[in-house]
Amino acid sequence: MQEAFNEKSSLQLIESMINKARNNFSESGTLYLLWGFVVLICSLFQFTAIQVFQYDKSHYIWFLTWLVVIYQLVFLSRKRKNETARTYTADIIKFVWLCFGVSMFLFIFILIKQQAYQSINPAILVMYGMPTFLSGIILKFRPLVIGGILCWALSAGSVLVPYNFQILFISAAVLVGWIIPGFLLRKKYLNQQ
Amino acid sequence: MEFKELDPILHSQLRLAVISLLIGLKEAEFTFIKEKTNATAGNLSVQINKLKEAEYIQVTKQFKDNYPQTLCRITPKGIDAFEKYVLALQSYMKPG
Repeated sequence: MQEAFNEKSSLQLIESMINKARNNFSESGTLYLLWGFVVLICSLFQFTAIQVFQYDKSHYIWFLTWLVVIYQLVFLSRKRKNETARTYTADIIKFVWLCFGVSMFLFIFILIKQQAYQSINPAILVMYGMPTFLSGIILKFRPLVIGGILCWALSAGSVLVPYNFQILFISAAVLVGWIIPGFLLRKKYLNQQ
Repeated sequence: MEFKELDPILHSQLRLAVISLLIGLKEAEFTFIKEKTNATAGNLSVQINKLKEAEYIQVTKQFKDNYPQTLCRITPKGIDAFEKYVLALQSYMKPG
């Protein structure tokens, strides 16, 4: 493969190699689905517990997310070990979600400290939109872009309903922002394998 | 029509394949490059060495889970050379 070759075959080779690097699509959608379903279960549980059973300690269900954080750390470290090539897009997306995690934590901490409980769900929805939209733009994956925009629309809508019903907007947001795009990402990933 | 000279380091099938692959990646393992270029380990190793000597790529050798791992990434000099090579190719391809 080392002998000189002509200009046309050079360009064909460049194109085919660039495509091989580009098609190394490593986003399997696993974390979108995992987080999507966990938040969906927690939010629906909280809504049902408050509305149907008038159980006011239902917010403790959200501690389930800490288990998911631990699983995620293990999952990402295992994924990194098996990676044979790293793309710039994967690195950028990693930092987008890291910013989201830190901002989310601080946002919720500040709003709880200031006892602005009414603002927590709309604020969470604003936050959900940002990394979802950006990931969609970076991956050139339209379902995530649409999902991010819908999260913002749900955020605006959530202030128009009574506080107890806002949690259902969180359920809807993770369905359109993470679960549906997650399944579509998985399909794309498996088709490539 | 002026014809630009093609960089002899890049005007070789396997070396061009390696650079074209690395241009779209942050870094890649030797095994990944070998799989994508369908080259033999020996030949690939020689060509990677030539690219490294020309300072077109940076090669890092380390251990991963007790196994040796060779990581390659393109350097700014390599990116520059690749861009010039593509421009030179285009000057050849344009009708006179």
